[in-house]
Amino acid sequence: MSGSAMSAATTNPGGATAPPLNLPAPGARERRRLSPAFGLAAPGTLFVVLALMGPLALMFRYSLNRFVPGQMMVEALTLANYQKFFADSYYQEVLATTLWVSGLSTLLCLLAGFPVAYFLVRQASDKWKGRLLLLVILPLLMGNAVRTAAWMVILGDKGLFNAFVSTLGLSPVKLMYTPTAVVIGLVSVLLPFMIVTLQSIIEGIDANLEAAASSLGASHLTTLWRVVLPLALPGILAGTMLCFILSMNAYATPVLIGGPSFQMMAPAVYQQVAKAMNWPFGAALAFVLMAVTLVLTTTANVLVQRRYRRWSE
Amino acid sequence: MGILAINRIYAALSALVLAFVLLPLVAIVWVSFFANRILSFPATGYTFSWYVRAWEQEAFRNGFITSVETALVAVAISLVLGVPASLALVRYRFPGRDAIQTVLLSPMVVPGIVGGAALFMAFIELEVLLDVEIAGTLPGLLIAHGLIALPWTVRLVTASLVGMSPSYEEAARSLGAGVLTTFFRVTLPIIKPGIVAAALFSFVVSFIDLEKSIFLVGPGRTTLQIALVSYLEWNLDSTVAAVATVQILIIGALLIASDRYARLARAF
Repeated sequence: MSGSAMSAATTNPGGATAPPLNLPAPGARERRRLSPAFGLAAPGTLFVVLALMGPLALMFRYSLNRFVPGQMMVEALTLANYQKFFADSYYQEVLATTLWVSGLSTLLCLLAGFPVAYFLVRQASDKWKGRLLLLVILPLLMGNAVRTAAWMVILGDKGLFNAFVSTLGLSPVKLMYTPTAVVIGLVSVLLPFMIVTLQSIIEGIDANLEAAASSLGASHLTTLWRVVLPLALPGILAGTMLCFILSMNAYATPVLIGGPSFQMMAPAVYQQVAKAMNWPFGAALAFVLMAVTLVLTTTANVLVQRRYRRWSE
Repeated sequence: MGILAINRIYAALSALVLAFVLLPLVAIVWVSFFANRILSFPATGYTFSWYVRAWEQEAFRNGFITSVETALVAVAISLVLGVPASLALVRYRFPGRDAIQTVLLSPMVVPGIVGGAALFMAFIELEVLLDVEIAGTLPGLLIAHGLIALPWTVRLVTASLVGMSPSYEEAARSLGAGVLTTFFRVTLPIIKPGIVAAALFSFVVSFIDLEKSIFLVGPGRTTLQIALVSYLEWNLDSTVAAVATVQILIIGALLIASDRYARLARAF
């Protein structure tokens, strides 16, 4: 019954978020005894099935129920919740905001992340590369609550940024509770993902290719555009997808630095499920969010790969 | 443009981006020492008193304790379930291996809010069916956090298993060691760095989780992240900054330790 929903959840909206594990290819040391492997893998698999897949299937079923105020949920088999989403201009706007904020944040991450990744691979010594990478990852794992608090300190009306601006004799800027602040906050969370992904692909590009291009007279920008970019495309794609998916799902940043009037999809899901107690509609919102993300990332993947094939021919 | 100039441009851009990524960290640590009663710039003086005040706040103290407990159990769950599963994925070929891999990694892929909402609904459904309380209780929270930690453990442990030749295990087996002996005396010591890294990293991802926990905390049982967010909804002062600084120190130490065992950048 929930075939499409389950695949939305398990096949990669994050081909990027969960890259395959790089397991050894079959054939090398084939072992045909089945029972131990199943015994080893079963508990963990069962746990995820029971604690994630099952609940997702249940939630999908709920999204087809009817919401009756006061009674919460009445069993039904209706698409009314999905229709409501696509008929209500408020939610269209929430989705549109989520999309443009995610798109812009991802683009900024790509532009800011590439030079850092390139620098780490081509110019930093091995020792420094390790240290700098750790420095890039550390802020990522500070937690959304702490990072968001920090941005509130910086971007607030009387925050660090405005204190700095006023020492320059300029008038303060309203940043807190604006979309700009949300994009700034998101870029700072997502940049580490982009940098780590890009540096691992640039690592695999032979530096001699760039040397050859420039010895044949190509400028640095031409070399980047004609040599590095095509070769780095899979990594650029992976990093872009990852950032886009994560920002589509962002919760803490929009809630705390976007303010009450700024709405994105993940906070809307929380609002409906936990506050309005409208489970059917909240569930529908969750599946719309995952479906839109999946469709966009798959399309981008296909388009870029087609382009890539043409390039590499 | 000369090579030197180009190099300098990259170095400068990288420094700028790095500063941007680190700015929030530096700012919040700095502010936690401000003597100003109401948070403002510049500082009128410096003090440690916000740290005392943070510890006196019951919400933060209890939240911290709950978070540590939850994270420790999440680490245990993820190791008990994740290490054998990683072993199965790396050392055996069996039908459905790809599917099992996808399932095990899926908690990373499903948005936290969506997974949290689904778990919350399932818990309530179970409560109605079985007439027990789950959603606001510790076991409910532990299930969610085990789920958060599991895929990271699988990632890091499979990575170190892939790097270990199966010949060691085969040698032990052919010399007559049983399956368990082989695992505990041969495999485990060799992949220990991967397991330590997985444990530390799992602790961190559980400790900082906000999205899944937000549905599952109950009255009197709140994690530190939820306590921080609900405090931030109404106030922003140096108390929060002090809590944040302590968290930054703890997580920083754990990550640096974890990175010594296995390169963290590989986990992403």
